[in-house]
Amino acid sequence: MPLALRDLQAAFAAHIMSNDRADLIAAVVGDSIPAASRLNVYRHHVFHSLAGALAATFPTVQALVGEEFFRKLTHAFVADALPSQPVLAEYGANFPAFVEGHTVARDLPYLADIARLDWTLNVAFHSPAEGHLDAADLATIPAEQLPSKTVALAAGAGLIRSLYPIDRIWTVSQPGAPTETVDLAARAARLLVLRRPDDASFIVLSEGEAAFVTALDAGRSLERAAEAGFAADAAFDLSTVLARLLALRAFAALQ
Amino acid sequence: MKQVAGIGLRSPHLVEIGRDRPATAFLEIHAENYLAGSPALATVERLRADYTFSVHAVGLSLGSAEGLDEAHLGRVAALVKRLQPAYVSDHLSWSVAGGRYFNDLLPLPYTEEALGVVVRNVGRLQEALGRQVAIENPSCYLGFAHSTLSEPEFLSELVRRSGCGLLLDANNIFVTAHNLRLDPRAWLDGLSGAAITEYHLAGYAVNDADGEPILIDDHGSRVGDAVWALFGDIVRRFGPRPTLMEWDTDIPALSVLLDEAQRADCAIAAAGSHAARAA
Repeated sequence: MPLALRDLQAAFAAHIMSNDRADLIAAVVGDSIPAASRLNVYRHHVFHSLAGALAATFPTVQALVGEEFFRKLTHAFVADALPSQPVLAEYGANFPAFVEGHTVARDLPYLADIARLDWTLNVAFHSPAEGHLDAADLATIPAEQLPSKTVALAAGAGLIRSLYPIDRIWTVSQPGAPTETVDLAARAARLLVLRRPDDASFIVLSEGEAAFVTALDAGRSLERAAEAGFAADAAFDLSTVLARLLALRAFAALQ
Repeated sequence: MKQVAGIGLRSPHLVEIGRDRPATAFLEIHAENYLAGSPALATVERLRADYTFSVHAVGLSLGSAEGLDEAHLGRVAALVKRLQPAYVSDHLSWSVAGGRYFNDLLPLPYTEEALGVVVRNVGRLQEALGRQVAIENPSCYLGFAHSTLSEPEFLSELVRRSGCGLLLDANNIFVTAHNLRLDPRAWLDGLSGAAITEYHLAGYAVNDADGEPILIDDHGSRVGDAVWALFGDIVRRFGPRPTLMEWDTDIPALSVLLDEAQRADCAIAAAGSHAARAA
């Protein structure tokens, strides 16, 4: 009795992801190329193509660990978590957490944060191009209402904090970048990732700016967010910070 | 010479095509690369004014016994509605089982049961899109012992029951025929040309499987000589159709891709001068 299609597909899936399935091998025509070798063509392609998709989303992780180790790392990740849908730009949200839990994180403690940065840049790149808030929009709001106003981050914007200088690590890992030494103990990093018209990029924030953006992102008013910024950094200056972030199109248009 | 060959629009060429607007019969995009939104989608929307488009899906998994992923179908339908392409297609294969996506065109047994599944899924796709779609013959690396239909029989019956079109990939016929020990010309005998709406051409690689060559549909080189010969036979048999030149790995300079597409135009012109009239 041949396998019903649903059972055959379940067996095929299990065969590709883990151990050989005798019932599946028996269902495949073998000749001078045995059935198991023919099935291996598919097994190889599934892992190879998904590793390629992860390399496109996490290029800096690959640059840091090298192609060969990246292939091993992604093989373990793919075996653990196939995509749940076919849009590969949306595959890999859990890869940074996977890296964090992997033994490689013992030698490269910043690698998971680099994976988060690659992922957040990918999310920003694939976010919709929507309107942004500019200074002229703010000027239309009566001054007495401004402190209680909330503003949302622009589509695709994301804040990343790391104990390591991941902005420097990221920069020296880009193709063609000159070889430089990064002092890991130098400083922590607070980065704001933003979608730009043709790509995605990040800026380095001060501690006060990071506290301000975090509070705004949590839905706090401008006044409360400014208090958070000042609490984190006594030199925090609201008008300077706002001007910088507005110029970078960091906020979504007012609803 | 009439231009009937189009090219795949791939990210390394986006800027150059946007700037230079080279002549080509149409541009093809993979649906799944444009569902997440990106600056690339904005480029495609600008190019729509100057080019005919083909939306080729790779992830609908029309052969899945569990049915289509309605969320993904909805996103593809929204893209098709937005871009209004001239051609829409996907493959005779499956890539989803148990809600997990394998990112490969996995093979189907050619049985009445599988035919029923594909007819139902293609029907659902055409209903969601409100239009006919073309289904492409896949490259196969194995066959199932319990298949009761040949691939052309399966495709012909799919066309008859679902009303879909056929996308005939000459390279896939050649690759499958080599790997499964079939005669590609006999494969063509089993097919009626009336439903064919589009052709595909691509290069293949030769890999080693236990000391024997197995052909891999990697879209990573120029079209093979034997595939050009087979393509000539196809055009003489079924007449010219819009033809896509595919190149997806080791993507060359745009000029190389356009040159290969021009070779397809020449092949179609040469074959068309003594072609059977399209059915």
